[in-house]
Formats: sequence, structure tokens, C-alpha cells
Amino acid sequence: MYIDRLERYWIYAVAGTLGVFSAALLASVFIFGVTLPSPVGRVDPMQLDSTEFATPGLRSMGDNQYTLHVVAKMWQFDLGQAKGKPAEIHIPKGAEVTFVVTSKDVTHGFYIEHHDMNMMLLPGQIAREKATFKKPGTYHIICHEYCGSGHQNMIATIIVDA
Amino acid sequence: MQVASPLPQRQPSSLAFPKLAMLMEERTLVGAHVLTGMLALLLGSLMGPFQTFRRSPFVKEAFPDLQIPFFSFYYQALTIHGVMNALFFTTFFIVGFTYFITQRSLERPLWNRTLAWVSYAMMFVGLALVLFAIGSGQASVLYTFYPSLVAHPTFYIGLVLLVVGSWLVGANVFMTYAAWRKEHPGERVPLAVFAAIANFIMWIVATFGVAVEVLFMLLPLSLGWLKTTDPQMGRVLFWFFGHPLVYFWLIPAYISWYTMLPKQVGSKLFSDGLARVAFLMLVIFSVPVGVHHLFSDPGVSSVMKGIHTVFTFVVAVPSFLTAFNIGATLERAGRQRGARRALDWLWHQDFGNPVVAAQLAGMILFIAGGFSGIIQASLTLNIALHNTSWVPGHFHMTLAGAVTLTYIGIAYWIVPLIRNRALWSKKVALAQIYTWLVGMLIFGHGMGAAGIAGVPRRTDLSNAPYVNPDAAFFLNTSAISGVILLISLVLLLVNLVGTLFFSKEPVTEGAPVDTVGPAGSPLWLERWGLWVGIILVLAAVAWLPVVADALGTFASPGYTPFVPNPLK
Repeated sequence: MYIDRLERYWIYAVAGTLGVFSAALLASVFIFGVTLPSPVGRVDPMQLDSTEFATPGLRSMGDNQYTLHVVAKMWQFDLGQAKGKPAEIHIPKGAEVTFVVTSKDVTHGFYIEHHDMNMMLLPGQIAREKATFKKPGTYHIICHEYCGSGHQNMIATIIVDA
Repeated sequence: MQVASPLPQRQPSSLAFPKLAMLMEERTLVGAHVLTGMLALLLGSLMGPFQTFRRSPFVKEAFPDLQIPFFSFYYQALTIHGVMNALFFTTFFIVGFTYFITQRSLERPLWNRTLAWVSYAMMFVGLALVLFAIGSGQASVLYTFYPSLVAHPTFYIGLVLLVVGSWLVGANVFMTYAAWRKEHPGERVPLAVFAAIANFIMWIVATFGVAVEVLFMLLPLSLGWLKTTDPQMGRVLFWFFGHPLVYFWLIPAYISWYTMLPKQVGSKLFSDGLARVAFLMLVIFSVPVGVHHLFSDPGVSSVMKGIHTVFTFVVAVPSFLTAFNIGATLERAGRQRGARRALDWLWHQDFGNPVVAAQLAGMILFIAGGFSGIIQASLTLNIALHNTSWVPGHFHMTLAGAVTLTYIGIAYWIVPLIRNRALWSKKVALAQIYTWLVGMLIFGHGMGAAGIAGVPRRTDLSNAPYVNPDAAFFLNTSAISGVILLISLVLLLVNLVGTLFFSKEPVTEGAPVDTVGPAGSPLWLERWGLWVGIILVLAAVAWLPVVADALGTFASPGYTPFVPNPLK
């Protein structure tokens, strides 16, 4: 098949560019350690009370490290807050938090503003990712997948104390 | 006395099509599909601007009681918007366009006209059922209908009818080609039909995923035959289908760019061979990429996410090939129009002809759409963007930009042919195209920037307790684009109604359809069995591990969008 000279150069340039993109991705994973949610375990969404999700909330693991268990449900994040209280936690500056999250009912999302934290929450699947909060301030956890008529209300707050 | 013919008598299989009109059977069949598609587009798109208004902090303050026409519930309107535009407009329009180019290029009637009407009836009943389900408020589950949200059974039955109807369309097109091939051994099939066949092969492979999801998971759950489901498996099956779906929309636009635009601008396609390679690459590599929609899913391994990222880069190659091929074709046209310097052919184009202008405007949007797509497909960058408003910003550049504008450009010559009357107003058509272009550019930019600021997609922000203040400006510019796009939509409606009912002039432009393939393209490109084999092998390699990972949990009961308690 006849391929014009300039067109061939174009193909090389495209292949080269995509090669550079791929290399950048490999670097982001292996040099900078960016991770994506991947399978860490499953739960029965109807039996959460007999699992680690029975009592959601923040647990200190020492050395400014925390684990936060969250149960997403229509239409709130359960961070262990008392009934009628806002879904809100305080952590100290520099805290490294491991989020362990699942959904009790339908598909939800778990997105934290200004952080590399973006997980789908599916009933039956446990999602786990780490984030470090270096700057004091208020950060919102936003449900970013449509989950029914109250979806837009599904927001929680992380306050990083100075 | 009549002399006996020395040749054996054969059924006349070739048809002479008039250049500036349609045969009655074309008018009814092509017309029914194209006009049903345009109706779905008008209904679906009408919802769009009102959503931008509802998401704008300025509008919320100024008009707190603003409602979306027909659908006061935001997510019901969003479901109509997605289902009508993405599923019904595209499918009906593609089928009508495919019938037209298949018959015209091969100069023969469809293999089976009765079957064509049966498939139309199935898809139309599907449309009616889905409209009933969503309109009655029982299917506000968006066009991705992820379990474990459950819609009324008529929603799923309607989708099944649409998909099965489209399979029959594919069979009809394949059989027409097979009959042509029998009578034309050794000839190259015209490029448009080559691409249409490739498109329906991909479609049938891809819809297998969503058919399994709907028939074996969602419909039985909705009917109460199954008590539980698995959302991760649902998403895997949906996105097996969901990415080839976007190429199913794109390929007919490419057919227009590759086989019609060159003649519409008075040029010649730069390379037919690489055009065929581009179509084949699109079809082959559109299947092993769908996991890039699942980068944030906890039930899919990172290795598979990486593999699908690489294939996504590969499937970008045919679009780069297209950029060169169509670019070179347009350069030739620009030079003929007097362009002399290196890049001035870019603006020496026929921007005053609606059919050409619509496609050029679509290409401009596609540049933004293509690059934003490559950014999203980069698995680690995706963390910052997944499910933010960046994503609809991206696919409004591709689907609502390149694809829809090209389809509108096609409508500007095919609707006159259907009606046998000239386009009602070229000026209105040009105004429609350029308002659409400007509106979509503003919209895409606003949604993209708001997404980077962290605004979620598919969210009724007017009722949300918190919206990132950094995004307010971009949400407001999106609302401005909504006004522009609403005007564009009205102009489109006016011109279609004008052409169908009030145009007096005769048609002056025919359809630029090739009836022979160029002799230079290698015949091995038409070894369909080989391509189907490769698609199936790649699909198996890329998806079986994902399916195996997702298998196992089937413990989630169904929910309606309104009550946080499981369905009984």
C-alpha cells in the first residue's frame, strides 16, 4: 500500500508522542507512586454489621497515621458521627489517612477536593486508598456518582487543624 | 421478432438512483429513521441548556424557581438527555444513513426491505417504551443505568428492542454486501460501505456485553425474578459495550469526512488505503479499552487498567491518521480556493456552505475532544478528573461536537432529499452551526475547568449544600453557553420544520456517494473473518481477566432512586 512520505513521518511522530505519554504514565506509577483503587477485599453489603464497617470512624494508628472507615449510603457518608450531627472529622496537620470505604446500598463515589482521591464505591467491594493532608483547611468528600434523588446532598467534611 | 439473449436471465439487482431525488422506498425507509433520530435529538437536547441553568450559581440566585420543561426532577431530565441523545438519536440516525449509503454505493436495494421495517418497528416501540418509563418517573437511572438502582421493566425492554433491532439492521447490511460481493468478485467495495460494515461488526460484538447485563441482571431484577445483583459486574459489562459505542457514533461521521466531504469541498481524499486502515484500527481496538471508564473501580486490578490505557493510546492512532488524511484533503481544497502560504488553507475553506461548515465545526470541536480524551485515558491523571464535570465537557466536544455537528451537516442534505425540497434556509443553517460551535466551545471549557476545580458531574447543584466557589465562574459561563445552544436548537428545529413543510424550491444538491472502490486498496483489507477473529481474541484477552475479577459477589439488592431501602 502506498503511504506518502510526509504521512509516514506523521505516523512516526504520533507513535513517538504516545510513547512519551506511556513513559510518563509508567513514571507516575513506579517513580512517583501514584496508585489506583484495586481489589483489596469484599463484603456482603447486607451484613456490614458483622464486619470492620460495623463501627465506622477514625482510628489512630500512631505516628500521625489514621484509618478512617466510611460507609456510604443513600444519601450520606457515615464517618461514625452521632445521629443528627454533621458528617465531619478533625485530623491534625500532616496526618496520613487510609480511607477504607464501602457502600451499603447503591453505587456511590468518593472524591476529596484537592487530593488524589477518587474512588467508586460499589456494594460488595471494599475501596482503600491513602491520602496525606499537609495543609490545614476544610476539605470536602463529595459523592460523584449519581445515587438517587438525594445525591447532591451527599457531602462530608474533613477539617485539618493547624 | 425478439432475439433470445445469450446470457441466462437474472433478477435485475442493480438500481439506477436519481441524483437529485430519492426513490419512494428510500424516502420512506431512510426518512423514517433519520427523522425519528432528529426528533430524539431535539427532545434530548432541549433538556441540556436547562441543566446548565440549574447548575449555575448566578441563575440559582436570579431565578430560584426555574424548572426544566416537562421534567421537574433534575435526574429525570438528565436521563432523557442522555438516553435520547446517546442511544436513540445516534442509533436511528446511523441506521438511516447506513441504509442510504449502502443502497446508493452498491446500487442495489437492501437485502430484505420487510426486515428493515421490522427492525424499525422494534426500535420505535423501544423508543416509546423507554419514553414511557422515564416520562412516568419510573426510570430516573441515567443513560448508564448502573445497578443496583433499578428502573421499571419497560425501560430495559425498550433498550433490548433497540439493540436487537439494530442487530437485524446489521444482518440486513451484511447480506446486502454479500449479495453485491457475489456479483462483483475481485472488486473493492466503496469505502463508505467498507466502514459501515466494519461499524456494525463492532456494534454487534460490543452490544453483547450490555445485552448480557440487561437480559440476565437488570431485567430479571426489575421484574422481581432475581433478588440480588452485582454493581461491579454491571459496570464491567456496561463498559465492555460503552466504549465501542462511542466509535459506533464516530464512524458514520468519519464516513462523511472521508467519502463525502472531499467531493463537497471539490477535492479528493488524500489516501484511501490509510482511510481503510484507520477504520479497521478503530473497530479492532475499540473493544480492549473500556476499562479506562473503570479506573476508579475497586474491583478491577491495576494491571488491567494499565493494559487498557495502552490500548486506548493505540485507538487514538486512527484519529491521528484521520487528522492527517482529512487535513491533507482540506489543504488541497484550500489551495484550489487560492491559499498560497503554509497554513492559510485553514481559512480558505467553504465556511458558507452549511453541509461543509457543519463538518468543519465538528472537527474544530473534535480537536479539543480528542486531546481531553487522551488526558482522561491516562490512568493516573484520571484520578483528578474521573466523574467530575470535565468528563461531560470532554464528550460534548466529541459526541455533541464532532459527531452531532457532522450528523446535522448530513441532515442538511439528506432531509431535503427525503422531502424532495431544498433546505429551507442556508442562512439559518449557518447561524445554527456557528452558534452550536461557539456554545459547545464555551460549554466544554466551562465544564472542563469546573471539573478541575472539583465539581462532580451529573449532580443537581442547585440543591447541593456546597459548591466549590472556585468553580462558580465556569458554571456561569456554562449557563451562558446553554443560552447560545438553546438558540441553536431552535434554529435547527425551525429549519427542519421549514424544509419539511414550507420549502418551495427544488433540491439542487445531490448526495456525493461513491459507487466504486479505488483499485489501489489491497483486497486483503476485506477479509472480514480475519478481523472478527482478531476482535474476539483481543476482547477475550482484555476482558476475561476483568470479568473473572468481578465475579463472585452477587449480594446487592435493588433500590429505586427515591427510597433508601431495598426493594422487596
